[in-house]
Amino acid sequence: MIEARHLTKIYKIPHEKTNTLFGQVLGRIKGKTTYESFHALNDVSFTLRKGEMVGLIGKNGSGKTTLLKILGGIIQPSSGSFLTQGTVAPLIGLGIGFHGELSAQENLYLYGAILGMPRKKIKEKLDEIFTFAGVARFRDMKLKHFSSGMVARLAFAAMVQSNPDILLLDEIFAVGDKDFRPQCLAVFDEYKKQGKTILFASHDMEVIQEYCERTILLNNGQLVLFDETSKVLAYYKNL
Amino acid sequence: MQNLKNKLNLVYELSRLDFKLKYYGSALGLFWSLVKPFMMLGILYVVFFYFLKVTIQNYEVYLFLGIISWNFFADTTKDIAPGIGSKAHLLQSTSLTPAVVIAGTVLHSFWTFFITLVIFFIFFFALGLHLAISAVMLVVLILFLVLLTVGVSLCIAPLYMRFNDFGHIWDIFLQMLFWATPIVYDYKVVPISFSKWYLLNPITRVIVDIRNAVLYGFFPEPKQIFITLAIIAIIYFIGVFIFKKYARRFAEEL
Ligand SMILES: Nc1ncnc2c1ncn2[C@@H]1O[C@H](COP(=O)(O)OP(=O)(O)O)[C@@H](O)[C@H]1O
Ligand SMILES: [Mg+2]
Repeated sequence: MIEARHLTKIYKIPHEKTNTLFGQVLGRIKGKTTYESFHALNDVSFTLRKGEMVGLIGKNGSGKTTLLKILGGIIQPSSGSFLTQGTVAPLIGLGIGFHGELSAQENLYLYGAILGMPRKKIKEKLDEIFTFAGVARFRDMKLKHFSSGMVARLAFAAMVQSNPDILLLDEIFAVGDKDFRPQCLAVFDEYKKQGKTILFASHDMEVIQEYCERTILLNNGQLVLFDETSKVLAYYKNL
Repeated sequence: MQNLKNKLNLVYELSRLDFKLKYYGSALGLFWSLVKPFMMLGILYVVFFYFLKVTIQNYEVYLFLGIISWNFFADTTKDIAPGIGSKAHLLQSTSLTPAVVIAGTVLHSFWTFFITLVIFFIFFFALGLHLAISAVMLVVLILFLVLLTVGVSLCIAPLYMRFNDFGHIWDIFLQMLFWATPIVYDYKVVPISFSKWYLLNPITRVIVDIRNAVLYGFFPEPKQIFITLAIIAIIYFIGVFIFKKYARRFAEEL
């Protein structure tokens, strides 16, 4: 279950961005620095039921990633609040919780710790994760030498092992190969059966049509429509 | 409870990551982290003992204890920046918070400090010196030192995140503070007119007390230890306040 109430995220964009203390002090002396407020997310409210997989669509820059980051506890909303029931696993951006200088195996320990799994538990699941991700041969290779598709696979496999109640997915098919998609889809089927809640941001309309009964449409940070998928997709086409 | 255990596990994993990033995970890395304090010890000892003829008794252990205490403070507050910088990506794509990252950095430097402290005691006993009962105060004083280091780290972490040039400013500040702290000399040489301000420096207070407890067999005066604790508590709470207010926002925009 996810409940979002009036979620708003405002980014302040200074007209003259200074990254130095020296510059900041200089700016203060010369006069006020002016800001432009940008609403990346504007008063978004909705409720997802337990066991539901919901699509999240919108043009580039419409605020999908921002919404998922807030729900995943990665960034804080400027105003509004949200409620989640159970453990949340966000899968956002390519590398997610990975560090390029660590080997794949060491990364899994770290990523597991971030998701709340102790080292011992990960150790038991290592083989399973590597087999699922299909990268068992590379477990001691530094992550920076992995292709982005391999990273995505590893991230997805690790997430599956953490067995979360709520899954936040951001364009995970963007880099995977032809085998990755059906593997993920099989997991979605399984998770829906188990009553897990999934919020799925994607440009893959086929998958959204097939797997999500309802879909959220964002535009310029606002929730334009939250309804049956076919209706939302039709509306989105004409946007 | 489970939550706290997860957090501690995460801090432990992060301190391992810091270790790997800093020394490429080699056993040699640990050696390198020990080279620096011993180089400092050697150079300062030669200059101040042989050239400038400092007359402090057992100057080698006096200096040793001062250097390792100082290094824990200075190295930790300097490592905050790369500690956060190397995890910018993690901070922005996972639920990892800056507070946990800083705890990992502090734990990592504490390991190094602990090892140098063990070496110090080996050295200490090898010289045929003896510990008085007052040495038990060391546990409390190390706790003070950690609390102070965490407090200052919390104060400056948002500054590191927001301003690229803060590292240089902090470096200069640490240089000045090093000489404004009785590490290589005795605080009694400071002129009286100066000493009121001089003794407000909490690192000075902790280092003087550590030496009294370990080298000279004195317990600190209750009133003095209370003042030290008060100064450290103020810094700590200012740190928590600043950190709570700015850290997460700045981490989003690293
Ligand atoms: N840290 C930031 N500072 C300023 N603007 C940002 C920041 N992060 C995101 N934005 C802006 O917020 C808007 C929404 O971005 P995002 O949520 O990534 O969109 P989407 O995922 O739907 O493509 C974009 O216009 C983006 O430029
Ligand atoms: Mg996006």
